[in-house]
Amino acid sequence: MPPAIIVEHVSKEFILRHNRAMGLKTRFLALFHQSKRERRERFLALDDISFTVEQGEALGLLGHNGSGKSTLLQIIAGILQPSAGRVIANGRVAPLIQLGVGFNPELTGYENIFLNASLYGFLNKDIKKRTKDIIEFSELGHFIDTPLKHYSSGMQMRLGFAVAVYLQPDILLADEILAVGDQAFQDKCLAKISEMRENGMSLVLVSHSQKQVETFCDYFVRLDHGIITEHGCFSNKSDSLIIAATESAT
Amino acid sequence: MQTSTIVPPSHPATGLARYWQYRDLVRNLVIKDLKVRYQGAALGFLWSLGNPLALILLYDFVFTHVFRSDLPHYILYLVVGVLHYNLFSQSVSQSCESLTSASGLIQKIYFPRILVPTASLLFTLALWIIAILILVVLYPFLGGIYHWGLLLYPLALGLYIAFIWGIVLTFSVLQVELRDLKHLVEIALMFGFWFTPIGYDINVLKPATREIIALNPLTQFMDLFHALLYAGTLPALSHVLIATGWTIATLTIGMVLFHRKARHLVEDL
Ligand SMILES: Nc1ncnc2c1ncn2[C@@H]1O[C@H](COP(=O)(O)OP(=O)(O)O)[C@@H](O)[C@H]1O
Ligand SMILES: [Mg+2]
Repeated sequence: MPPAIIVEHVSKEFILRHNRAMGLKTRFLALFHQSKRERRERFLALDDISFTVEQGEALGLLGHNGSGKSTLLQIIAGILQPSAGRVIANGRVAPLIQLGVGFNPELTGYENIFLNASLYGFLNKDIKKRTKDIIEFSELGHFIDTPLKHYSSGMQMRLGFAVAVYLQPDILLADEILAVGDQAFQDKCLAKISEMRENGMSLVLVSHSQKQVETFCDYFVRLDHGIITEHGCFSNKSDSLIIAATESAT
Repeated sequence: MQTSTIVPPSHPATGLARYWQYRDLVRNLVIKDLKVRYQGAALGFLWSLGNPLALILLYDFVFTHVFRSDLPHYILYLVVGVLHYNLFSQSVSQSCESLTSASGLIQKIYFPRILVPTASLLFTLALWIIAILILVVLYPFLGGIYHWGLLLYPLALGLYIAFIWGIVLTFSVLQVELRDLKHLVEIALMFGFWFTPIGYDINVLKPATREIIALNPLTQFMDLFHALLYAGTLPALSHVLIATGWTIATLTIGMVLFHRKARHLVEDL
């Protein structure tokens, strides 16, 4: 089987635009005032990152704030384009960068299921087959037919999580989503992710918590200022090598 | 580990199939906008008819009582023009902010970005279809002529929508860079109304003015609609060709611009 995710020499450079002119007036003023002119600065958020995630395996991404974890996840999800290198993902990728993307407060929970799931490229007829499971997992009961604006934030998160996991992705990219919600919700989500992992789903989990990564992931990569500073594995099944290239500078 | 060699059914599609796969997203986005706009008001969409109707009554008054128009069945001429101009102006102003206001989606998940302004156009179109139903009902009373040429109307409308689509794509991308574009566009649309033969006949203008008005691509489209729906004739081939030329131009510019900018759009939102 081909690996689930191959990240090959990926770099990402952002152009920071200080004093960005958003309107015509500022643009016009910038012609005369040096101080109002836009300044551009290059910023390397990721520097030559390479690794492979085999099918069914889980990789934890560690690193402090601003180290490039979300940027890397967005590149794997195809949201951002890498400045150099490439990413190959085999299978359907479900980014969970935020729970319930596209949810509209005016629509009912039921209607929002369709809106959210179609953003992942699903057809309504396929979503319909999964609504029963989604509603059951989200524990919304009859609330499913009331507008989302009457939901608590916990209810919205449960629904968002339920949609993403019941779409049965081959690869789940989770960005600190488990840092939100109460303990019961977190446990339920983690149990569901474990169950899906047993069914062969690959996982990339971004987390602050070393402990969470340890319990859920086979391998980890630690980022610091856009470079891999440390990597390793937790389980003893070290038959497949996940870190290629990039020397680790620990 | 299982050793299956079957390509997963969810294998990411490529090319045009990729857009087709997202057809229900477009549908859901349009339905969402309709529901959000008219929630609670079952007949709320009737209000969307109020605006063009009021406009038509106003212009009818102005042009039949204040300035005299020699056009027979003047109100039909006016209705055809106003309705089609409204489709243009509402689509264009509505879609300017489509990408910038969808930043929450675009930054969180990948889907073909072109679907955002396209869904915005289809939303306006859905509302407009309701308005055009008034015309269908009133058509015989306003002096409309039933003729075989009417069968060509869907083609003319399709061409017009393609023309608008090109502009919608262009402006939605430009809005990301220039956040007050929408205000400029709305002013331009107000002028555009008078620079298009909607309330008057282009042939009553002085030759010099007429040439200026003919430069407006909407003039060509209005001519198609007036010929088919008002005069009961076929439009002149030259107008069809010029309108097609404009459509190819806006679609090419819109598509090229969109594809060049779409990949890095998310970083500028
Ligand atoms: N769109 C963007 N434009 C400019 N800089 C960005 C953009 N997105 C992220 N960055 C910068 O890239 C760095 C890494 O950010 P991020 O990937 O969000 O870090 P993490 O998720 O590890 O906290 C940060 O310094 C951030 O400011
Ligand atoms: Mg982050």
